[in-house]
Order: sequence, then structure tokens, then C-alpha cells
Amino acid sequence: MAYLELTNICKTFSSVVAVKDFNLSVEKGQLVSFLGPSGCGKTTTLRMIAGFETPDSGSILLNGENIAPIPPDKRGIGMVFQSYALFPNMTIRDNVMFGLKMQRIPKQEAVERADKVLDLVRLQNTAKRYPHQLSGGQQQRIALARALAIEPRVLLLDEPLSALDAEVRVALRGEIRRIQSDLGITTVYVTHDQEEALSISDLVVVMNNGLIEQIGSPQEIYRKPATRFVATFIGTANEFQGKISSSSSVDCGMFSLESTRLQGMPVNTPVVVLIRPENVEVFAEKPQEVKHNLFEGRIDTVTFHGAITRLAIDIGGRSITADININGQSFLSHQQNVWLCFNPDVCQVMKTE
Amino acid sequence: MQESKQPEKGEVGKPGWLQVLTIVFFLFYMLIPIIATYIFSVATRWDKTILPEGYTLEGYTEVAKNPYFLITLKNSLVLSVLSVVLNLVLIVPTVYWVHVHLHAAKPLLDLLMILPFGIPGVVLALSLVQVYNFQPIHRSPFLLAAATVIFTMPYMYRSVSNNIEAIDIPTLTEAAQSLGANMVNVLTRVIIPNIFPGILSGSLLVFATVFAEFTLARLIVGASFKTFPMLLVEYTRKDGTIAAGLSVISFTIAWIVSLLILWVSGKGIKSTSDVIKAR
Repeated sequence: MAYLELTNICKTFSSVVAVKDFNLSVEKGQLVSFLGPSGCGKTTTLRMIAGFETPDSGSILLNGENIAPIPPDKRGIGMVFQSYALFPNMTIRDNVMFGLKMQRIPKQEAVERADKVLDLVRLQNTAKRYPHQLSGGQQQRIALARALAIEPRVLLLDEPLSALDAEVRVALRGEIRRIQSDLGITTVYVTHDQEEALSISDLVVVMNNGLIEQIGSPQEIYRKPATRFVATFIGTANEFQGKISSSSSVDCGMFSLESTRLQGMPVNTPVVVLIRPENVEVFAEKPQEVKHNLFEGRIDTVTFHGAITRLAIDIGGRSITADININGQSFLSHQQNVWLCFNPDVCQVMKTE
Repeated sequence: MQESKQPEKGEVGKPGWLQVLTIVFFLFYMLIPIIATYIFSVATRWDKTILPEGYTLEGYTEVAKNPYFLITLKNSLVLSVLSVVLNLVLIVPTVYWVHVHLHAAKPLLDLLMILPFGIPGVVLALSLVQVYNFQPIHRSPFLLAAATVIFTMPYMYRSVSNNIEAIDIPTLTEAAQSLGANMVNVLTRVIIPNIFPGILSGSLLVFATVFAEFTLARLIVGASFKTFPMLLVEYTRKDGTIAAGLSVISFTIAWIVSLLILWVSGKGIKSTSDVIKAR
């Protein structure tokens, strides 16, 4: 049995379905992300684990124990909020010690434990200051330390980085992952930022409109999206509508695409073909060795992104996004004619509803 | 927010002459009547000269001899403290409840809390006397206390409400709960300490207003429950020096009470300005 087990969870707010039939098993020590657009039910699910919302139906088991009837203050679940939620009237050390005071841990031991977690988030020198004297990133690290001080059974993070600058966000997510895996603490992380979810998670739960779209490792979610929503929400994808014309090809109207990923779908099934920008190959001259999915096009725009360069290429009136690694090649310019190729192995095909 | 390095107010530069003039004028406007009252209360005669012709404490000894002095002082103190307590009991939980659970009712409450400003004291007093014309409430100190509470409610409401708006009560409540705090601990250790500055300034305003209140007391209880301002008004008709002495005592009590409360909770006041600064 998994450490944290959510079974058939449903939650409705005045006739609006927030979460529907949610099933998830989390192993001890895993970091699981709930990823989705706002209003997809990810925060509601997190709040049900914390005890701030009650599921209409379904069960939440923690280490085999049904925690539904337990009030939030008795669950031993730590939580970090988007707005930090540090107590403004207390010093940093008192903030971190708050949970230990509630557990009536002797003062001396509480101070030692507080200093230990402050050390963990590398802010031991702020113990005597007040929250408003720290930067946003520091405040969130204190909020993390405060949640960790009680040695929670599960750690919940509700969009912890959304209020921070991009630079701080990247640094802090690495730190959260380091501390989480050092302590081996089971963690649920809510975010709408796909890059964040992919970079720190063991398991990603992609949600939309209260339903789970896919559960998988970051690699699976990115490389083998289960639904069209996942494919378009995670990263960027070029989409072609069409229908299956043979065991290995899709008729997309003006052209036909070869794919090795048709999974035996019958002919005439309406489908969409998805190709990631980094899987589009671009050539200045017509490549002789390529047999399938070769198109001639013209570069509309060239956008430099540092590590990659993003091209918008027009093929017969359709715009294709391609990410390429220039590596000193300077053959690309605006309005230049190029050749594009999609390897049949990377053409993901999905049924349209 | 915290990261942005905006110049502190003090770094803007030295104030211009116009600002200095405004401040000096304001201080004169506020302080001269008070200083004059203090001087007048110890003056022998002050009508033909710029400064009094002589000084005496006769006014004060006269006041101390009046048996009503201590009675009215006690009555006013009891009335003020009672108004503060009733305001706290009525307003603080209401504001908390409306803010956390019933946000839709806030505009209604805001509107209700302007009404006491719009109703003249005379109207409030006379209508209360007419409506509650049965014993033991009719013209009783209880009715007076009820009236002063209505009259001063907006002060408490505004102070507490502004303070509650400035902090994220629902999230702080949840944060404390997730750390194992029950509702009593949430209120006593997190919520009340953080809205304490608002509670305090509301209490000060209510105390000072009720202590100096005359109209309601005069019209509702009359001579049966004499308050300090009633004694003061009596003396203005008899002896200006003694009336000034009473005013001085009234000011001084209000200041001592204010300073006492501020001193007791110096920490709380500091943290509000900090909370507001941090936003």
C-alpha cells in the first residue's frame, strides 16, 4: 500500500465541480506535482489533503489511516503558502518554533530544532529578525523551515514560488528539491508552471477542469502525453488535424504525414498529429537521405533564445515552430528558403474527440 | 516589494520653507488653546494683559473641595471603560467574522458604521429616551452607556477593520492550524496580536470621546448620573478659572490613559507600522 492514497475524491462548490474522481498513490519520500491551469482543481485537492476542505466523497489514507475525520491541526501535515503567511508579530525563530510550541516541546529542544531547520534553509543568521525585514525569497525559505520544523508526515506546497522573481524562483526550486530529497519527506507540490513541475518532480499529475489528464514521470508527461491537453499544455507543439489514411500515414489535407506511432488505429479515424519544435529538423539544402515528411518552407521570423533559436517557418500557408541549436551556423535568415523534416518516430498521433 | 530599493521618506531631502511654515502653523493652531487653558487655570486675572497678572492654585483647591468632583470623575471613567469594553465585545468578533466568513456583508456594515456620524447627538438621545420609556432602562446610566457605544462604534470599527484588511487573516489562520494550533491558539497567538494595534487605537478613540461626551449624558440621564463634562459645563457658568482647571484635569487624564496604553503595548504599535511598511 502506498504512503499517501487518494481514492475517488470528488468535490463540488455550489454546483461547480472542482475535483472529480481523483485517484492517486504516492510512495513515501516522493515529490509529486499537481500541474494545471488555474481553476483545474489542483489547489482544492491539496487543501483536502491538508484538511481545509472536506471531500464530498472518496477517501484519503495516510500511512493506512483514514485522515478525513481529523481536523487540520491534528494531521501533522506541513504547508507552505504562496503568500508565505509568516506571522508578522513574531521573530523568525518564533515563527519556526510556533509548531513546536503547539506540540509543547521543551523550550531548549525547540530552540535547537528551530536553529537546525534554519541552518537547512541557510538562514540561521536571521533568527532574531522579523518577517518584513527579509526579502520574498528569504521569507519563503523561512516558511519552508517552519513547516519542516514540526517534522510533518507530508509536506504540502501551494504555488510556493509564484510570488517571486524568475531568478529567485529557479534557485529556490532547486533548494526545495535538495532539502526534500535529503530529508526523504513525502511532498505534494502545486504549480501552474510546467517547467517547475518537470524539473523537480518524481511524479507529475496533470489536471484540467477537475479531472486528472495524466499521471507520469516528467519524461513520460513530456515525451508521451496521454491527451491532447497534456501535449499542448506541457511545452509547445505543432498540431496538424487529419485522419488516418494507412497503417503508417495520416492525411492532413494538403499533405500527408508518416508516423510510426499510430498504434493500430483504424483508417479514417480523425486524429491530430503533434510535433515538438525541438523535433523539427531544418536544412538549408534539400537533404538527399531523407525519405519521409520532407517539406520546403520559408523562414518568417528568427527569435534568439540563448541556448536555442526559435524559427517560425511557413509551409504552404501553415506556420511551423522549430527550435534549433545554431552552433555557429549562420545560414539562417529572414525570408530564406529551407527544408523541414519531421522524423516519423517523433510524430505523436492522438484521436480527436 | 521588499527587494525594490525605494528611497526612505527621510532621504527625500530637507523640507522647504513652505512645509516648515505649514507645520509651525498647524502646531500653533493645535497647541495654543491647550496651553492657554493650562495657563488660565492657574491665573488670577487675565483680561487686560498679554500674560496673566498673577498665578494661583485656588481653582484647583476649589475643585477638590466640591463633593461632585470625585463622583463625576468616577462616573465618567466607569462610562468610558464600559463603552470600550462593550465596543470590543461587539465589534471585534463582528469584524473578524464578516471579514473571514461573510465578506458580502461588508458594504452593509460599512454603511451602518457611517450612520452614527450622520445622526446628531441630540436626535439620538431624545429618540432613545422616547423609545425606551420604561423602567429600569428609562433615563438610566445603562441607556447612556448603550448610546455612547452606538455613538463611538465607528471609531472602533474603522480602526479594527483597517487593521484586519491589512493582514491576510484566512491564510494566517490556516498556516497556524497546519502547525498544530487549535482555534483558541490561533486567536490568542496569531490573530489578536496582529490586530492589536487596531484594537488599541480604537479603544483610545472610544475612551477619549466618551470621557468628553456631554450631549448624550445631559439629555439621557440628566442630573441623576452626573458626568465630568456636565460638572465642567456647570462651572463655565460660574467660574471660568475652575472650568479651565477641570478641562486641564480632563486633558491630563486622557493623556495619561493614552500614554499608559501606548506604553503597555509599545511593541504592538511598532509592529503595525512594520506590517504596513512591509506591504
